[in-house]
Amino acid sequence: MSQPLLRGVDRAAFAASLTAKLRAGGVAVGLTATEDLTRALAASLPTSPSRLYWVARVTLVRRQSELAAFDAVFAAVFDDAVIAIGRANRTPQRPPDASPGDALMPVPRANQDEADGAGLPWVTLPSVVALPDDPSATDADQAVPLRVVSELEALSRLPFEQLSEAQTQLLGRWLEQQLAGWPTRRTRRRRPGPGGREVALRPTIARSRRTGWDPVELVRVRPVRKPRRVVVLCDVSQSMQPQVTPYVHLMRALVLGVGGEAFAFATSLTRLTTVLRHRSAVVAVEQATAQVSDRYGGTRIAASVQALLASHHAEAVRGGVVVIGSDGWDSEPPQDLARAMARLRRRAYRVVWINPRAAAPGFEPLVGTMAAALPYCDDLLAADTFDSLAAVVAELGSLSSRA
Amino acid sequence: MTQPWTSADDVRRELDAVDYLVDDGMATALHLALTLEQPLLLEGEPGVGKTAAAKALARALGADLIRLQCYEGLTASEALYEWNYQRQLLAIRLAESRHETLSDADLFTEEFLQERPILQAIRAKGPVAPVLLIDEIDRADDEFEALLFEFLGEASVTIPEIGTFVAQRRPVVVLTSNRSRELHDALRRRCLYHWIDFPEPTRAADILRRAVPAATEPLIGSATEFVGRVRGLDLDKPPGMAETIDWVSALAALGAAELVPQDVVRSLSALAKTPDDRASIIAAVEGATLGQPGSTG
Repeated sequence: MSQPLLRGVDRAAFAASLTAKLRAGGVAVGLTATEDLTRALAASLPTSPSRLYWVARVTLVRRQSELAAFDAVFAAVFDDAVIAIGRANRTPQRPPDASPGDALMPVPRANQDEADGAGLPWVTLPSVVALPDDPSATDADQAVPLRVVSELEALSRLPFEQLSEAQTQLLGRWLEQQLAGWPTRRTRRRRPGPGGREVALRPTIARSRRTGWDPVELVRVRPVRKPRRVVVLCDVSQSMQPQVTPYVHLMRALVLGVGGEAFAFATSLTRLTTVLRHRSAVVAVEQATAQVSDRYGGTRIAASVQALLASHHAEAVRGGVVVIGSDGWDSEPPQDLARAMARLRRRAYRVVWINPRAAAPGFEPLVGTMAAALPYCDDLLAADTFDSLAAVVAELGSLSSRA
Repeated sequence: MTQPWTSADDVRRELDAVDYLVDDGMATALHLALTLEQPLLLEGEPGVGKTAAAKALARALGADLIRLQCYEGLTASEALYEWNYQRQLLAIRLAESRHETLSDADLFTEEFLQERPILQAIRAKGPVAPVLLIDEIDRADDEFEALLFEFLGEASVTIPEIGTFVAQRRPVVVLTSNRSRELHDALRRRCLYHWIDFPEPTRAADILRRAVPAATEPLIGSATEFVGRVRGLDLDKPPGMAETIDWVSALAALGAAELVPQDVVRSLSALAKTPDDRASIIAAVEGATLGQPGSTG
């Protein structure tokens, strides 16, 4: 029978310390998970590093995307470093005046920030209103929505290349407002409402309590409608550089407004859904830009579409609207894209391609890859100005009425 | 404590006895779920044995398996409990005929309560706590997850008209998800979590030996190796363990003692689930020798 690995070690301190390291390494470990690990160690101490790994992984990690970060931190702690669980560390070091019965717990060093009057970080609420001298407060955060309409009119025909940063953010806010009429689909869920064809027994009986159990008022139910899923892919290669920021704003509007999935691609596919949910548009776009390591390089549209279909996010494509924002310039053979688009088309409800170059007079999709992709697209729309982007949003909004 | 298993090795041994082979990770996850009496969320590609894990656990524990298959539109009345309206109405008519008056307290009692899987698991009275399988939770609406929070956190269900039912013995709860959508953090927080990978070739071969006794050793070896290569192809649906078992069963039923391209093509419907995947695998078969020099499909 092998000896337990952490015999004599303070389990709570161990769990808290490992949790802190994991958090620093990018794994979101909650307090409940730390408690779970402590309880698991109390229930049975692991007898091997491998068993310790599994106990820690099952209790501390809650999603597959965090497994790689967990493995890296675990390896750094237990493999790459010499772990200090020797005899000297098992026995708590007592100060000279401590009695033998004293239980000592490690206390984290005081935060240096507290000295400058910032307060305890975990109990201090953030400022509700930005202070006038707050360098992080931008004009965009304080902007009054009423200004939007007239400003938009002035900007409606300006190409994206000529937009300032503030104008681009204005576009983002406006786009978020435009998605009110997003197409919906019927779900299997039903909810009481006027005009429903079926009688709901449960609420009808509940309401009949008032009328001596005679069901005088029939409660009817009707199907609930949900926003149709949307997946938007944005080309962030060199040739799309001027359009990238407005398109990222479009993606953010779709992510926030209708719960869409957003991806950027150049030579590889990067999921941006999570970072685009940030409440500040400026921060969201900054984080999204930072996350796409291969931006402004070459383009591999077919490989990116295939990567999407091979990932578990492919399920979001099924029955959804897929929006691809790209000029169609690709470094891969057109037949690869045709094959990928055919697979995409079979799964999606609609495939809409938005192309900044489609607005040019006399535009024809003569680029090989664009021509290969077109047979699998329901729409090819121009998107190079506010006006054209508005038309795109209106077109997407009208999909349900045409279906 | 609902079972005598004291370590992950015990779990592995007991599940082995019911022909479900698990690796260290899965054994630890199941052991912790039983010991800490916490729900276990299993995720992984389709066909890696998530549902089978719950079934095997129930068999090994000698417990009842209660299954809640989730789907879009699943409601509380289908998952937790429902009132038996017909019986309530009959009771009202009966009371009227006797010139009696019924109150709410008479009509909303356990007598008129219809148990659905979750309440059934909470009120189970057998000698062993049941195993509740909440299958494919990602298919249910995200609002449905909120219904489960009380049950997952405290093993209880509150019925406004009666009160709160708390499980005397916590049921063993296994949730599975194929990640067709992100689950809420609040649900994940209440569960232990285990991601199931495709099994290693050696363990896959062990599983096949158990699942398809009719298959020969060379067939199992080459089929395992072939499926490993197929997973590396660009497929819509990479074959999981379930598809592999179906496929090797099909090959065994066709009388194949070894893997030859002709048999691969004949039995491909068990392995490939879309026309594209079928074409990709056939192309791979034609480009490979499959250990049969000179033979192509």
